[in-house]
Amino acid sequence: MDATRAMEPLDNTLEDPTRPTPLVLGGHTLTSLTDKICAIAEKPRPPRAWYIAITASSSLTLVMFAMIGYLITTGVGVWGLNNPVGWGWAIVNFVFWVGIGHAGTLISAILFLLRQKWRTSINRFAEAMTIFAVICAGIFPGIHVGRVWVVAWIFPIPNYESMWPNFRSPLLWDVFAVGTYATVSLLFWYTGMVPDLATLRDRATTKVRAIVLGVLALGWRGSHRHWHRYEWAYLILAGLATPLVLSVHSVVSFDFATAQLPGWHTTIFPPYFVAGAIFSGFAMVGTLIVPIRKWFNLEDIITLHHLENINKVILATGTMVGFAYSTEFFIAWYSGNPNESFTFVNRAFGPYAWAYWTMVSCNVIVPQFFWSKKIRTTPWMAWILYIFVNIGMWFERFVITVTSLSRDFLPSSWAYYSPTFVDVLTFVGSFGLFFTLVLLFVRFGPIIAMAEVKTVMPVAALEGESKPIGDYHGDMHDEPRHLREKE
Amino acid sequence: MSHHRHIPTLEEDHITLDELGPRTVRVAGAIGVVGLALAAAMGAARGDGFASFGWSYLLNFAFFLSVSLGAFFFVAIGHVMGVHWNVVARRLAEVVAANLVYLVVLMIPLLLLAGRVFPWATGHTETPAALLAIKAPYLNQTFFLVRWVVYFLIWCGYALWFWKRSLEQDETGAPQLSVRMSRKSGLALLLYALTLTFASYDLLMSLDPAWFSTIFGPYYFAGSVVAFAAALTVITFWLQSRGRLTKVIHTEHLHDYGKLLFAFVFFWAYLAFSQYMLIWYANIPEETAWFLRRQQNGWGWVGLLLLFFNFIVPFLGLLARSVKRHRRGLYFWAVWLLVMHWVDLYWIVMPEFHPETPLPDLLDLLTFVGIGGLYVAGIALRASGHSLVPRRDPRLDDSLGFENA
Repeated sequence: MDATRAMEPLDNTLEDPTRPTPLVLGGHTLTSLTDKICAIAEKPRPPRAWYIAITASSSLTLVMFAMIGYLITTGVGVWGLNNPVGWGWAIVNFVFWVGIGHAGTLISAILFLLRQKWRTSINRFAEAMTIFAVICAGIFPGIHVGRVWVVAWIFPIPNYESMWPNFRSPLLWDVFAVGTYATVSLLFWYTGMVPDLATLRDRATTKVRAIVLGVLALGWRGSHRHWHRYEWAYLILAGLATPLVLSVHSVVSFDFATAQLPGWHTTIFPPYFVAGAIFSGFAMVGTLIVPIRKWFNLEDIITLHHLENINKVILATGTMVGFAYSTEFFIAWYSGNPNESFTFVNRAFGPYAWAYWTMVSCNVIVPQFFWSKKIRTTPWMAWILYIFVNIGMWFERFVITVTSLSRDFLPSSWAYYSPTFVDVLTFVGSFGLFFTLVLLFVRFGPIIAMAEVKTVMPVAALEGESKPIGDYHGDMHDEPRHLREKE
Repeated sequence: MSHHRHIPTLEEDHITLDELGPRTVRVAGAIGVVGLALAAAMGAARGDGFASFGWSYLLNFAFFLSVSLGAFFFVAIGHVMGVHWNVVARRLAEVVAANLVYLVVLMIPLLLLAGRVFPWATGHTETPAALLAIKAPYLNQTFFLVRWVVYFLIWCGYALWFWKRSLEQDETGAPQLSVRMSRKSGLALLLYALTLTFASYDLLMSLDPAWFSTIFGPYYFAGSVVAFAAALTVITFWLQSRGRLTKVIHTEHLHDYGKLLFAFVFFWAYLAFSQYMLIWYANIPEETAWFLRRQQNGWGWVGLLLLFFNFIVPFLGLLARSVKRHRRGLYFWAVWLLVMHWVDLYWIVMPEFHPETPLPDLLDLLTFVGIGGLYVAGIALRASGHSLVPRRDPRLDDSLGFENA
């Protein structure tokens, strides 16, 4: 459009404090951005790879449902639980998936309040991933109750026998915490998507698309009043969701920390779980976003600068997690309590030492590679590290849950826990569900928040009023009109 | 609307202390010296080998240390994240962080009195000797001294480095200095987290040698950031009421001060709740003893004071946007939260020394005035002769024109 933008450097990872980092490359105009992102959802047929992927993932989903069917018809005896280890992979998988479900709302709420403009390229996708991860998480406590047909009893529903759940149990707090989180995340995701759904609706070429998208877009017309309400709703949802990002995993940590078991009961658990959740969530965002930006040619919108920032967050939160591990270890010694120190020595050198050192290597050592700028800005290198982080964070929950239980206060009752094939396949199958939902969203949804990305493009500053810095929400009330003029 | 707004420039503002500097050094320094002298005399008159003096001194040292540590965080996190809005306030934070150098001197009395103050050294504790023996490799006077040397080397090293690079940029205006400060900040924050955590164990948690809580480091950290955000507000207000930085730091920046205060008040409450609830719920005697001491003989009222006046009331007070953008309103809450941060530390320290009563001693006030006077004099001394704004920071223009939506 003009010379300055044509000369824009392609490398936006250079540190230059004298000017803002360009967040969208490739000389996009507002229209070309809309075209590019909408095209992904508008193609009549997705690429062949998509069909292969969804076949694999939905088959895995079926495996999970088969395993759940087997579990329900046979009983929890099909799992590897034994006498001291009454909580096995079900709780491990639950905490793992809830943790992954933290990145989206952190990006959309906390990074919004912190005015981190780079969030706009990844927030939509991360929010979707959050919802899907929470769905996967919700399955495990649902099926681990034993008698699934009375699972509704975990909710405080008035009934003729006056049977109430135990309000003093952190497991019930979990029901509320995760339920609230899922609701608010869903609202947040959907509210943010409305303007983009309207864009897709306006471009719809078939009657079916126009009707479906028209219903979903809730009659959005892009008027000033709509934008005004939208900004307020977004800000309020961000404010409400911010404490939720902290509370969900804090409450999950209470499941363990309110107990009296060494290795479970320690006061740092709430913030430490939150840091770990953000850590694993960002690793999963990275795991998915690196191939997606490649396959859909989104490198000019999800740039290396975005990846670098994701990697910095992983480095920071991974180091916090390592900090929590060492704090626990030090205090276990400092407490002078033999049970405490035994638990931690047992973790590091006992029968589960392999799991412990897997956890430490993946969660503490691996993210340290992100001190290197080269690794931070090389997608394939970062992607390998994401995989390790995903593995490490699953092992963290395994180490916490199983090591403390398998060697409790009474040595005569100690037992080693091993999963059965049902445990393994249910967990693997949950990945199938997760990827199926991701693939469906990638195929049909606006995977990048177009309306938000446009507000951080240089063209926005050129066409709109010039603002040095500040909150970009609320700046671009006229934007839909720009769009309409162009189309 | 935004584009009609006047964006201030440094030229139209008064950005040096000038005569205010030496005057503040004299007045605050004199108050500090007199305060400490009176406190020392009163401590000597007690005839308890300076034990009560030492406890009051420890409390107030921990208070002023937390303000400087909060400033350290403010500087480093700003660099590491490439923050724009805070540039106009960063010099003030650099000064307060570099005050850690004077805290080294103020630490000396505490080190000299360590053997008479810390229960693990004096033996005046309910903790069984066998448990003390287990902890002796950590809780002993030599290692204590070594640790504090290490903490201060790290803190002062970084704080002075940031201060000097920032002053260098005032002269050269080199953007590369911002990049260097940013690169240095990552490791600085890591070491900061480690040293602050252990410092909080040494200074506060070990006052009950039997007790332990893994969240204690973050708890002291959260309080430190609140304390600094409040102190920054008070300093800004003080400077502005004397004609300094009246245009450069404007409502938009105060709004962000307020958000910082609000966020960390909430974060403090989150950590305080986590610590209390988990210990209360599990109800293990070795942990509950610490809280039990704080629920007896009137100390429970201090705890409730914290719940209401260090969380609920300021939370509601700072919630509204209009309060955060109201100069006097924000100043009111800043002073309030500084007082409550002091009460928080009082609630941590003093039940270990006088569990029988929550009433403060005159020594607490005198040592506060003493350390505080010297602390303020140190700030004024360092700030004298320098610009109060990093005047050639490449992000300064963004900060001056910064606006909350």
